[in-house]
Amino acid sequence: MSNRFGYRGYIASRPVRGLLQPQHVQNLVVRDYAQRSKLPYLLSATEYAMPGCYMVLESVMRELKHLHGVICYSLFMLPERALRRREIYGRLFDAGCTLHGALEGMAVKGPDDVAMLEDIFMVDRFAAKSLPAGW
Amino acid sequence: MSVLPDQPLTGFLDGDAAVLTKQFLAAGHVIVPVEDLPGLKRLRNAMAGIAAEQLKLPTPEDAGAFLNGVHRQVSVEKLNDLRLATINATNALPWVRKTYYALARNALDCLVGNELVMQRRLNLSIQLPNDDSSLLAVHADSWDGDSPFEVVAWLPLVDCYKTKSMYLLHPEKGAAIEAEFGRFQDKSEAELFEAIESDLQWLTVPFGSILLFSQNLMHGNVVNREPETRWSMNCRFKSLFSPYAGKRLGEFFEPITIRAASRLGMAYKFPEGLHE
Repeated sequence: MSNRFGYRGYIASRPVRGLLQPQHVQNLVVRDYAQRSKLPYLLSATEYAMPGCYMVLESVMRELKHLHGVICYSLFMLPERALRRREIYGRLFDAGCTLHGALEGMAVKGPDDVAMLEDIFMVDRFAAKSLPAGW
Repeated sequence: MSVLPDQPLTGFLDGDAAVLTKQFLAAGHVIVPVEDLPGLKRLRNAMAGIAAEQLKLPTPEDAGAFLNGVHRQVSVEKLNDLRLATINATNALPWVRKTYYALARNALDCLVGNELVMQRRLNLSIQLPNDDSSLLAVHADSWDGDSPFEVVAWLPLVDCYKTKSMYLLHPEKGAAIEAEFGRFQDKSEAELFEAIESDLQWLTVPFGSILLFSQNLMHGNVVNREPETRWSMNCRFKSLFSPYAGKRLGEFFEPITIRAASRLGMAYKFPEGLHE
């Protein structure tokens, strides 16, 4: 019998891509993604508000052996530093887990998915995210 | 959509690229033959097979005839379930987005750019004859969250004509309406439609061709009064580095053709460790 119980939700207390969404709205998005993807959902862990803090994510990483994976409200909640993200992907895959972004509707299950996600992060740093003011 | 003044093209666009560009700027759209007809047929056959399976029917021998006549197999009430199941299964095909892009690769390269983002999920529209449940009122996508830099690739899976197709408002007519948009202050979409109805262009887009249009143009559809069902797909493309709006990178768009120099540029870091 498996000792894995499902997919841990992971929501934010600080803005994601410049927007701070209420936590219950983030939870709705995560639960809806889990339901549509037929993934058993486990109550969300809520990251702390301090910029650069990933203490709660680290706690989730330490319970991976009991999880099938992690569903982030948004993949843009992952650490900004690429090396730190790489370490997270590695730990997830080594533990046989998958990573999901509910807002993006994206599953990260292996190197090809990581490559696409990293492309998105890379381009997002450079491309204008909105139309010029007064358009 | 603002009309550009009648001026010569700047830069080095010439030959077919210049012709297509001028056509697109003047009309806000172009209808071109698909660049990969076998790819289009594979896509249509796959979609017809998926739809037939949903309806518990055998795989159709003639995909076009099956799609055109699907109103004999499904009720209006069950139509959205069929549409969702069909497009979800189609989007799950690993080759489908690359095939879709290949249908208009050169035209997109010319009109949008050679470094592109593409919508992550293809859309499907099915309009049964005389069905008023699948209508898209007049709108411009740029009004509700799309970047004005996006282009829609609209792909008919059957011959589309008259009310079985979609309409566009010519850029010049659109600009005239938008210049006095204040008169629609307390009006509805229906009243806007009435104001433009006589100027609409009903597009004839046969199977085997693809429509590329600026979503800054007003467009929409009406009840399909033809005796056949419309099946069309649509997908948005945008230049990688042009401004995004409500449809964001990662959530809606995905890069598909990042070039080497851009990768190197984005990864570049100046040497560190020096001090004043």
